[in-house]
Amino acid sequence: MIAQLSSELFKQRTTRTARILLTSMVGVTVLVVCLHVFTLKTADLSQAANQPKVFGWGTTLGALFAALAGAISITAEFRHGTIRPTLLTNPNRARVVTAKAAAAAIAGLVIGLLAAGLVGAIGSIGLALRGIPITLHAGDFTQMIAGGAAGAALWAILGTGLGTIIRGQVGAVVGLCVWLLLIENILIGNVPSAGKYAPGASDGALAGLMPTSGTASLLTPIAGALLLVGYAGVCAAAGLAAIERRDID
Amino acid sequence: MSAEPWGDGCCVDRTTTSAHGSRIVGGDTTQPVVAVRDLTKRFGTVTAVDTLSFTLAAGSITGFLGPNGAGKTTTLRLLLGLARPTSGDALVFGRPYRDLPNPTRRVGALLESGDFDPGRTGRNHLRALAIASGTDTARVDELLEIVELDRAANRLAGSYSLGMRQRLGLAAALLGRPALLVLDEPANGLDAAGVHWLRGFLHQFAGGGGTVLISSHLLAEVAQTVDHALIIERGRLVATVAVDQLPDSGALEQLYLELTGRDEP
Repeated sequence: MIAQLSSELFKQRTTRTARILLTSMVGVTVLVVCLHVFTLKTADLSQAANQPKVFGWGTTLGALFAALAGAISITAEFRHGTIRPTLLTNPNRARVVTAKAAAAAIAGLVIGLLAAGLVGAIGSIGLALRGIPITLHAGDFTQMIAGGAAGAALWAILGTGLGTIIRGQVGAVVGLCVWLLLIENILIGNVPSAGKYAPGASDGALAGLMPTSGTASLLTPIAGALLLVGYAGVCAAAGLAAIERRDID
Repeated sequence: MSAEPWGDGCCVDRTTTSAHGSRIVGGDTTQPVVAVRDLTKRFGTVTAVDTLSFTLAAGSITGFLGPNGAGKTTTLRLLLGLARPTSGDALVFGRPYRDLPNPTRRVGALLESGDFDPGRTGRNHLRALAIASGTDTARVDELLEIVELDRAANRLAGSYSLGMRQRLGLAAALLGRPALLVLDEPANGLDAAGVHWLRGFLHQFAGGGGTVLISSHLLAEVAQTVDHALIIERGRLVATVAVDQLPDSGALEQLYLELTGRDEP
C-alpha cells in the first residue's frame, strides 16, 4: 500500500498534465477574483452579504481542480493504457484505486489551500486598494482556508471514484465542470432547500461560503463535512466496485 | 489442402474440434510455467477464446500465432488477470496471476505498444513502476542501457519512435527480473536490427531458463525465434508445432496458412 501510494504520488509529480492543471488553477483563480474585486461596483462589494460570494470562489475552484486532479489521475491511465502495467505490477485493484484516491486527496489538500489562500490574499488586497472595508472576520478566513482545503481533499476522492466509474477523460472532466460551475449554482439558486444538500453546497458549508449563495441557506459546517464525506465515500466505493468487476481492455 | 512435406507425427500435433486436451509445449512437464485449461471468454454472443488448453514448460520460447482477431490478445489478458474468463482457468506458476505475490518478480509482460503517458519521460515511466513493485532505481538505469534508451531516458515518452516505445515496454516487462515473459506483438515497429536484437535477447533469456510466450500475426517475425508454436484460429487451438523439428522455415508458413485458411499470415 505504501509502495503503491509512493508510486501514485510520483506519477502525479512527473506528468505534464499535473503542471498544466496547477497552472490553470492558479490562473483561473486569480482571474476570477480579480474580475470580481476590480470590476464590481463599490456599493455592491461593500455589502456584507456579497463579500462571501467573492471569497467563495476559492471554495468552488479549489474543489473543481482537486476533483479534476483525482479524475485525471485514473482516467489518464485508461486513456494512455498505463492501467495495464499499473495493474500488472499490482493486481490488487482495490489497493491501486485506494492509493490513487489517497494521492489525489493529498494533491487536493494542496490545491484547496492554494485556491483559498490566493482568493483570500488577492481579495483582501483588492478590497483594501479600493478602500472597501472587509466584512469577513479572522475566523471566517480560517474556516475558508481550512474548510476549503479539507473540502478539496474530499472532492479529489470523489473525482477519483467518478473517474474510475466513467473511465473516459473528457466525460469526467466535462461532467465535473458542468456540475460544479453550472448545476450546483442552479440548484442552490433556485431550490436552496434541496440544493444545500448537493456535494458542492456541502463543501460550501464546510468552508463557510460559496460563490452563488454566499452564506445564505447553507448547512452547518459539521453537517456539510459529514455529507461531503458521504458523497466521497459513495463515489470511492462505486469506483472500487467498478474496477473489480470490469475487464481491462 | 496442401502437401505435408514434414508429415504428421514428430512435430505437428493437430487439435481437432472435438478434442481439446492439454497440449504440452517443451520437455519438462513437471512444473508448467503456464497452464491454460479449457479457457473460454465470451463477449456477448462472440466467443473470443474457446475452450483453449495448453501448457508451457520452463526454458521454451513459444510463438502464439494466429490471424488478427483470433483471440491471441484476449488470451494473454486472461492469463495476466486483466480480464476474467467466462470459464476455465489460466495459471502462471500454478496460480492465477492476481494471486501471485509481487507478480512482476516472476512474470514480465508487454501488451501492445504505447502503454505510457506521453507527457512523462521514459525514465519516470519505469521509475513509477519500479516504486510500486519495490524495485530499486539502479535497475531502471541498468534496463535503460540494456534496451538502449539511456540517451533518450529523459525525453517525454510521447516523442519516442515506435521502436523506442517497444523497447521501453520491454524494459518495463523486465524490471522485476521475471522468469516468464509474455509479449504481445513485440516486433511491431521494430526495424530489421531491432528484430535481430530482440531475437538474440529472447534466446539468451530462454537459455538462462526463462520462458517466453510471444504472440504474433506476422509469421516471418517469429518463425526464426520460437522453438514451439501454438496456432490459434477463432479462439481455438488448431495445432501445436515443434518448430525446430520442421524441415525448413517454409514448412511452418505452409502449415499456418493451411490451418488458418487465410491468404495473409
